Amino acid sequence: MIQLAYPLALVSLVAIPLVLALHLLRPRRRRVVLSTIAVWQAALRDREGGHGFRRLLRNLSLLLLLATALVLGLALTGPQWLTSTANDADIVLVLDVSASMKSRSGIGSTRFDQALAVAASIVDGLPRNGRALVMTSGRKALLRTGFETDRGALRRALAQLRPGDEAGRPREALALALSLVRGRSDSRIYFLTDGAFDPDVDPGSPQVVFRVVGEPARNVAITRFDLRQERASDDRFQVLLTVRNYTGTPVTVPAAASLNGRELFKRTLELAAQGEQTLVLPFAGRALGEAMARIELDDDLAADNLAYAALNSPASLRVLLLSRGNFYLESVLAALPNTEVVKREAADGEDIAQLARSHDVVVFDGVAAPELPPGNFLLVDTVAPGLPFADAGRVTQPRILGSGPSALMRNVDLAAVQIDEARRVAVDKRAPGLQHLFWSAQTDLALALIDESRKLVYLGFDLAGSNFPLQAAFPLFVSQSLEWLRPRADDRLAHHVAAGSAISLYVPAGEKQVIVRGPSGKDETLEAIDGTLVFDATASAGIYRYSAGNVTQSFAVSLADARESDVNRRWSQGEQRQRADTAGSGAQALLPLWPYLLVLALVLLTLEWFVWAGSRSGA
Amino acid sequence: MSMTPHAARPAGRELVFDETFLRKLEQLELLARKIFRGLLRGERTTSRRGRGLEFSDFRHYRPGDDFRHIDWNIYSRLDQLFLKLHAAEEDVTLNLIVDTSASMGFGEPSKFDHARRLAAALAYIALNNLDRVAVSAFADGLSARLPPAKSRQHMAQLLGFLADLRCTGVTRLGASLRDFVSRTRGPGLAILISDLLGAEEAQAGIEALCYGGHDVVLIQLLAESEIDPPLEGALQLVDAETGDELEVTVDQELRRLYQQRLEGQLRDVESFCRRRGVEYLRASTAIGFEDVVLKYLREGRHLR
Repeated sequence: MIQLAYPLALVSLVAIPLVLALHLLRPRRRRVVLSTIAVWQAALRDREGGHGFRRLLRNLSLLLLLATALVLGLALTGPQWLTSTANDADIVLVLDVSASMKSRSGIGSTRFDQALAVAASIVDGLPRNGRALVMTSGRKALLRTGFETDRGALRRALAQLRPGDEAGRPREALALALSLVRGRSDSRIYFLTDGAFDPDVDPGSPQVVFRVVGEPARNVAITRFDLRQERASDDRFQVLLTVRNYTGTPVTVPAAASLNGRELFKRTLELAAQGEQTLVLPFAGRALGEAMARIELDDDLAADNLAYAALNSPASLRVLLLSRGNFYLESVLAALPNTEVVKREAADGEDIAQLARSHDVVVFDGVAAPELPPGNFLLVDTVAPGLPFADAGRVTQPRILGSGPSALMRNVDLAAVQIDEARRVAVDKRAPGLQHLFWSAQTDLALALIDESRKLVYLGFDLAGSNFPLQAAFPLFVSQSLEWLRPRADDRLAHHVAAGSAISLYVPAGEKQVIVRGPSGKDETLEAIDGTLVFDATASAGIYRYSAGNVTQSFAVSLADARESDVNRRWSQGEQRQRADTAGSGAQALLPLWPYLLVLALVLLTLEWFVWAGSRSGA
Repeated sequence: MSMTPHAARPAGRELVFDETFLRKLEQLELLARKIFRGLLRGERTTSRRGRGLEFSDFRHYRPGDDFRHIDWNIYSRLDQLFLKLHAAEEDVTLNLIVDTSASMGFGEPSKFDHARRLAAALAYIALNNLDRVAVSAFADGLSARLPPAKSRQHMAQLLGFLADLRCTGVTRLGASLRDFVSRTRGPGLAILISDLLGAEEAQAGIEALCYGGHDVVLIQLLAESEIDPPLEGALQLVDAETGDELEVTVDQELRRLYQQRLEGQLRDVESFCRRRGVEYLRASTAIGFEDVVLKYLREGRHLR
């Protein structure tokens, strides 16, 4: 069975009427009517040494040209000879849907189009009772069908496939495919790919048959794009842009970036062959909104000529302070930027779970804490039930003996801290997620705990009975504790992920329903669990917006992957071919016919030259 | 040079020769090499033994012979009986057979005009010698025929007949001459005027004439452009009779090969004629038909 890898190349067959037209338009011979041409025919035969095939040669020249055009046209379509399987072995079709499959290949087609054509031909060549399964290999491996004997269902599944903007991880896909055919040595896995991955992807199994499509491509790509608000200043931000040339020749690439539609810069980059250039440019103002970088050139892969970033205004940290009054703590919380503090003396009669959902952090300062629901909590001189540490009395003037390597204790100097009295806690040291922040000889003075639904920081003494609030370490400790409880450091960085990756979206406390709108403009309503939504439908690059309650934020998805943008083949087919040759009768052989057609065209052209030369010397 | 077929249709008036030419023609006398039976006695003796005055031959006496023809002088010298034979005096039917195929339309003047004028001149001479003259035209078959007549008033009718001929079609010489022989009542002098170009079964046709008892004269007419074609370069040659086409690039070498091949064909025809006792004359349209009649035919055995 013959199938065409580039059916659109059949357009080149218009060369045949062109040849005919040129033949018809060639200078006409002067027409002369004679009483008889018999004598001329005899004279011509005399000159040709008695061989009367001059007329044949003249027509042969045209026929050879037409045949050459036909053969070249067919060669451009990439015909392949597909042998049918001889048995009923199962087939797993793994289609590479990574971004490199979007590369142009052939006339008007992409590598993915060619892979689909090969997949369709394999489906067509299935034996009567043969089964096949379709799966895709992107950043994740996804099963698109079960094992099907219905060719129509398989074709429909193939027709729905599209390549994404994500970097591929073929190793995982092949591992999954191999697990599907485990124990069935006659089954085959056809991996339809462009081979733009590292050789170690090949699992070396004789069951895996690589069908490599695509031609060498030239690509220039944005491999990094980022925006960052300078930490030292809220009025300055930086843009990072890296562009890489994957071609073997130097290129000049216009590059530009914009923020909220306003152009930030436009530069022309001179990139050496296989070279890379990185721009780090400072700009005044706040980096808020949606940013896009682009390079303008016509290469074979357009997906990596654009990159996106999004910077959201950091949300205020909402802190509920349950305290009968704490000057030091209130002062520190009030001093923290972008923090809203709600103060109450107690939460009696209120649903603590509701309070925890509606605030980022709940602080219990010297007030009794109930069993803690999911949420973020700071316990000061109080202990809640149901924790891996419990109240076990009090100790006087505990001396701080050490501190742990926690992020909460970074740069916190406790050397001068003195404590009049502290709570003694009995700690379950085997409890998972428990960190010892600092301690005395008698008891832990500060702990941090993270479990499935809760994060809390425990400080085991009254601030008023200590000089800790007077130390520089105190505001640092409080700030780092709040940051750990509800991280906000990322708010100063661009909010973006690689295509195909999952992203955690933090939604305001109390909100569950999240509406995500992707680059296509289609809305998807999802449910957040405990204030977080893990979103992984990021196969397409672009700006994504998500809304929860009355808050709308955005994040960006880009390819920006230096390995994926290297679209030329890095995997060698030689070893695989050798394996396929020894794989037995279960494998299908897909023999590319274009080299043979090319040789045939050369032979035809050579013959035509001889005929032409012969006709010049003859009639 | 125009090589398109010439619609050779000279008016009958053109075929009326001037007085000088007619007087020259009257001095010519047609002879027939063979003696053949004539329907009427004319001014010519034939090889048929008969009661003419002109001595022909002797032969041994056979029982039953007329004693009046025994040569008694020989008997007295040799003591053997010989009969004295005399040639019978008979008139001659001149059959003019004119090729009217499309190839005859070529040349300047056209071979067709040349042929008709030749035919007219020969007919005139024959009629002046009180011979019968018939004219037949052929191309892909015997197309027209003017029955034999011997009166000089027949000349006007003959000129009109020739003037009405058209040259068209292919040359099927063999079939045409066989048809001619089957329709002709007795042998005579048959003068075939043709270019023999593209002629099918030419030799078979001439042989049929010979077998029919005719004294055959072949006048092969060629145009100068056929003998030395003024062609050069890339050409598409078209056969006027068959419509066949031939793409050819004519150079000096090919012209030479053409002339060699043409000369070979002419030699073949001439050789064949010699073997068959056919008088063969080759004429070019470049030579005026008067000269052909006065010079070429004078050199033949049919004029004296």
